[in-house]
Amino acid sequence: MTDDLQPDDIRIADKAARQAIEMGVLVLLIVVFFVVSFMRQNPFAEGANPAKAIGIIVAAGLTIIMYSFLYRDNPLFKIVENLYVGVTLGYNVVISWRQFLRPLVYQPLFEPPTAEAFWNSLAHLFVPVILGILLLARISRKHGWVSRYSYALMIGWGAGVAIPLFTNSYILEQLTAAVKPIQEAVGPRGLAAANSWEWALYVAAPMFGAVLAMIGTFTVLFYFFFSVEHKKVGAVISKVGIWFLMVSFGASFGYTVMGRLSLLIGRVQFLLHDWLQIPQQ
Amino acid sequence: MIFKRTIPLLIVLGIGLLGFMQDYVPHPWSASLVDEMTTWSLILGGFAALLGLYSLLHMHWSRMRRKMSGWGYSAFVFIGAIGMMAVGFFSDSIGTVTSGTERVSLYDWGYDYIYIPCAATVFSLLAFYMASAAFRTFRARNLAAGLLLVAAIIVMFGRVPLSETVSEWLLGDRQIIPNMAKAIMDYPNLAAKRGILLGIALGVISQSLRILLGIERSYLGGGD
Amino acid sequence: MSQIRNLPKHYELARRIIYVLIALAVILPYFFNPKQEFKPAIEVENIYKKIESIKPGGHVLISIDYDPASEAELYPMTLAIMRHCFKKGVIPVVMTPWPASVGIARLGCDEAANDANTMFQKKMVSGKDYVFLGFRPGFSQLILKMVNNLKGSFDKDYYGQPTQGMKALEGVNSLKEIDLLVDIAAVGSVEVWIAYGADKAGIPMAAGTTAVMTPDLYPFYQSNQLMGFLGGLRGAADYEKLLKISGRGERGMLAQSATHVLIILLILGANIRLFFGRFFAGGKGASR
Repeated sequence: MTDDLQPDDIRIADKAARQAIEMGVLVLLIVVFFVVSFMRQNPFAEGANPAKAIGIIVAAGLTIIMYSFLYRDNPLFKIVENLYVGVTLGYNVVISWRQFLRPLVYQPLFEPPTAEAFWNSLAHLFVPVILGILLLARISRKHGWVSRYSYALMIGWGAGVAIPLFTNSYILEQLTAAVKPIQEAVGPRGLAAANSWEWALYVAAPMFGAVLAMIGTFTVLFYFFFSVEHKKVGAVISKVGIWFLMVSFGASFGYTVMGRLSLLIGRVQFLLHDWLQIPQQ
Repeated sequence: MIFKRTIPLLIVLGIGLLGFMQDYVPHPWSASLVDEMTTWSLILGGFAALLGLYSLLHMHWSRMRRKMSGWGYSAFVFIGAIGMMAVGFFSDSIGTVTSGTERVSLYDWGYDYIYIPCAATVFSLLAFYMASAAFRTFRARNLAAGLLLVAAIIVMFGRVPLSETVSEWLLGDRQIIPNMAKAIMDYPNLAAKRGILLGIALGVISQSLRILLGIERSYLGGGD
Repeated sequence: MSQIRNLPKHYELARRIIYVLIALAVILPYFFNPKQEFKPAIEVENIYKKIESIKPGGHVLISIDYDPASEAELYPMTLAIMRHCFKKGVIPVVMTPWPASVGIARLGCDEAANDANTMFQKKMVSGKDYVFLGFRPGFSQLILKMVNNLKGSFDKDYYGQPTQGMKALEGVNSLKEIDLLVDIAAVGSVEVWIAYGADKAGIPMAAGTTAVMTPDLYPFYQSNQLMGFLGGLRGAADYEKLLKISGRGERGMLAQSATHVLIILLILGANIRLFFGRFFAGGKGASR
């Protein structure tokens, strides 16, 4: 009998069997989920908070559906994923109205307490509101160019303000900090305390660390300078920069592992503590 | 061309120079200018956010209209969005329910029990993929990769409490392994991050200058 | 079954085994005693000491710059800092420049205020003992405005109460009157707060970030632009240890240790396999 079966027939039969098993397991899991949820979070129990109980059941269900992606992509996951995008969108729209449009624009212009307040608000809000409306014209292909005035104002102001702030905070302060330990070590106070073990531990050691850090900073900056070819001495400097970068990326990887696992730990704590109400020791 | 290009570029230059100079001018007029301009920027920023929200809705609407692959799922985006907006805008009527003895806002409920679990779970999936990827691809094939591997292992282990126990057991002092991890963060990591930070700062400053001088015009959109 | 076509079957099996191991490494520690001895980092201790030094009635501005995706790492540290403020009688001024963070900030304020009642027998009243200012757009421009005009940036709090004349904001008209600025962030906002806020206003600043972002903070810590920082769940655990109030941070540390050891063993195992493969193959055809 098996001689009559073609490879395609066997594959189709395998697939159908697999789908039947998956559907069976899914139905079983759904039944188990609801039974367990109502045992641990009965919203109809006396003294229960129904909204909170139902909320925890919904949250646990959504969490488990999302984790089903680890098995494989499936329609339930896609539904929940899109629902989440929609809920995010809806939430942001309402918050934008409640916290921005209504108090900053609508109420001062359309619900002013006095006429004087209205004219004062109009004086301050007329230009930005018109520019904001012009910004929305970006949607139109034909008239989208009017939004350039709004973008010009935002981008121009942002760029102008950024220059002194970035120069101060990210360049001058950082360069000062890079040199300071060396300055302290060879300054009057540092040298006066030399030949003591305290100077070696609290001043010289950080100084050598600072020198190492300065070498690292310079070589890393040099590595990213692609306008000149890295040959001979440049190649050596670039190589040292790569070593520093590798150590830094390794450290970043270590922290990334920590971060991702923390997110998983948080979710598991929710499922075990809040949903299943298993007390932690 | 004057209205579509020249005037916007002149606005960028003029406003940009004002923004640059205000940091160095202590006169009260400078402070008033900052106050007014930041208010304008707040309002414009809010409108820009609305534009972003519209773009997302429009993308899903187009997908449904053209019946592209997976268009049915986009309907759930609208279900979620309209549901949240309904309970948010009509919070006094349909947006509030009684639960036990409390009045519960469905808007806050949706955030607490739909938004939070979905967002938190999506990113926690990365833990599994990261572990699998680390096992499959993280190999010390050369010196640079070896440095990365050693640094990663020291930092990963040094930042957990178990490292203090193992450090005491192996080396006699609880802080040796954690201090090794700290040393990696305080010196080579600091050096590389500072180098990257300086590079980014120089890049942002040069890009800002290019914007003010009208060399960089991509923010104006197409057709120029 | 494989989501990537043509992947060898043993990779599928290895992948699923790793997923199960990770899940076990996270779930099993939950059932054991989570108390572990560890020394809080000096960067965390600096923040603790700073808040300890602020007189009752002082103000700590807390910017919530994360959304629910990073809730597991950052919510415990938000709670820990707010609990500390309530314990010391310091007024937390909570705000957020991101719409998605409003709910998380609201939850944090509510939970910390309720906890103050049970933990410190203090009834916290919004507008008097703490204030949740809510959300305003603009981010960097909002910070710039707050430097000179905080009440003008938030003329009402989240609950619609006017900030002018609010007891919680007595004596605070701008960022310059804040005793400590704390940015709890999952986005690249710490650098912006430093440049546009703390450095410009001349106030001390601390940060609490996800572990992914923590390595980026070291240049600012070394330059004293940040007086301290909390890195990831371990940062939250360190702060809870200093505060002597157990929370999700400390309770997650055993699972954190277990999972880190598992990942290290997986990486070492794979590399040992690589080196032995090279050794026996005479240096050729190193296996993946």
